[in-house]
Amino acid sequence: MADEKLPATPSVLAAETFAAADEGADKAPPPGIPGRETGDRIRTAIVYTLMFGIALLFAIPFLWSVSTSLRPTAETVAGFSLLPHEWTTIGYHDMFHKYDFTRYTINSAIIAGAVTISNVFLASLGGYAFARLRFPGREFLFLLVLGTLMIPDQLRLVPVYQMLVNILPKWVHVDLVNQKGVILIQLVSATSIFLMRQYFLTIPRDLEEAAKLDGAGYFKTYRRVMLPLAGPALAAVAILMFQGTWNGLFWPAVLLQDRAEYTIPIALTFFRQIYSTQWPPLMAASVLAIVPVLVLFIAFQRYFVAGVASAGVKG
Amino acid sequence: MAVVARDRRVRALGTERVREAFVGYAFIALPMAFFLLFFIFPIGYAFYISRYEWGIFKGEFVGWDNYRTLFHDSVFWQHAVRNTLVYTAVVVPLQMTIGLSLAVLVNQAIRFRTFFRAAFYFPSIAASAAIATIAIYILASDGLLNTILGHLGYHHDNAWFTQQSTALPAITALNAWTTSGTMMLFYLASLQSIPTEVYEAAAIDGAGPWRTFWKVTFPLLKPGHFFVAVVSIIGALQMFDQSFIIGGGAGGPNYSTLTVVLYLYNQAIQNIHFGYAAAVGLVLFLFIFTVTLIQRLLFGKAEVA
Repeated sequence: MADEKLPATPSVLAAETFAAADEGADKAPPPGIPGRETGDRIRTAIVYTLMFGIALLFAIPFLWSVSTSLRPTAETVAGFSLLPHEWTTIGYHDMFHKYDFTRYTINSAIIAGAVTISNVFLASLGGYAFARLRFPGREFLFLLVLGTLMIPDQLRLVPVYQMLVNILPKWVHVDLVNQKGVILIQLVSATSIFLMRQYFLTIPRDLEEAAKLDGAGYFKTYRRVMLPLAGPALAAVAILMFQGTWNGLFWPAVLLQDRAEYTIPIALTFFRQIYSTQWPPLMAASVLAIVPVLVLFIAFQRYFVAGVASAGVKG
Repeated sequence: MAVVARDRRVRALGTERVREAFVGYAFIALPMAFFLLFFIFPIGYAFYISRYEWGIFKGEFVGWDNYRTLFHDSVFWQHAVRNTLVYTAVVVPLQMTIGLSLAVLVNQAIRFRTFFRAAFYFPSIAASAAIATIAIYILASDGLLNTILGHLGYHHDNAWFTQQSTALPAITALNAWTTSGTMMLFYLASLQSIPTEVYEAAAIDGAGPWRTFWKVTFPLLKPGHFFVAVVSIIGALQMFDQSFIIGGGAGGPNYSTLTVVLYLYNQAIQNIHFGYAAAVGLVLFLFIFTVTLIQRLLFGKAEVA
């Protein structure tokens, strides 16, 4: 099935990638007008100094947190030094073992993992239907999905909380003001469906027609033909959802009451209020919160931008 | 014979259509049920709740009382709304200025461009809880910032986030920094939509880079400015994370970092005052919705992406 008809990366993913429109970035600048060359060189030097300066300024908070996370606590009050005098991983050790961040990491991973998997599954099914299958009311329903982007979480706080406390438990007999509730209310997002639909729209129809002639049903066509072609969109949805839920603060703050269910951001918030001078473990926990997203970002930069591009529909 | 065959084909096509529609509905059934249950229904339910005295459970019907109380709630207006509006008024221009400056810088034909874009964007996607905690440490009384200021001969001994006069400005600065990467990407998309002929024409006219920027680029970015402004305003009106983390959940010190969303959160989750919180949520929603509507009316669907 994989032949030369493989679609190019669709515009929604490629439009604003970091690398996009980079042709010529590494080419030498066009030859300057004679006599201006010295001026150009000075200007180039200024630009690079400025940009590396800003990049360093942006990096300092992160570098400082790493540097602090590798010190003994006593050193954080003993005057300023760029690097630790005594390198130690005790901050990380304490964070994981003494302050229970092993558990919080697992909690964060469970929520982020469940929400990611569910979004990939539901959004690819829904996105495929909205892109390809014809049924009455399709356009209206799709607009309805996009419309949910205009309903802010704050408006939903009270009614959704009340539903999880008073209405839904009567139907399903499960307590939902906890981790389950946090997952439940983020099972799928309009952004995910939008990204999947836009991608499926760019895949040529011939492939499905061929599958149909071979007698494949709709689900089989989706599963065997379309999904394998939708890799970039699936990756974008997965990465965006993982990043969003991993960092998420609002719904966990609303729904997680049992300390044993705290996620890293919630634990970090309360832990900071209680142990306000334990900077090495605090900074270690901050590093812990940041590193997974950093790794994903370095590995899959361009997919992160798909989310920003899709924010265009959020308006 | 021919008629029967055509008839059969039409009928087959008809059932095929029906089948396709059924499959379509089946594929979107779960997401649609989800959106109806957790997005559409809650709007009406929020209004319903806002008309009751509502603690853990539904209490007495009170009509518009929650809205009346809200109208006279001095903590809401003098602190939550005031802080949110001041914050928005300052952070939006900051985000736009920094975002545009960064976009212009990384839009040049230079080496390491991809690296610079990534470096400037990263604070936008790192966990707000972690960045806020790092900021608390750096802005502590004996933190990195005060140490550096001390070396420069400016002595500042207080923690920035615990002083009433500096807490909100410090949060504003923090968020102007972290969000500028997102604004940079919006502006970058907008910059790249400007045709190169425009710059060529400006160069032929002998305009220098500074003049070209102000006379050509800046005016052509108008749709970009508008889009970034609206996204930025909506985001600022919903500020919660930093106030929640830094102000110790209560918007301290002395309400100086209390925002509308934090107030709503506290009314619901801390004070178990759901009817009232629902009213706050609806008022905020109407305000944000108006901002969005103005954008849609003036510019149609956002085109930046």
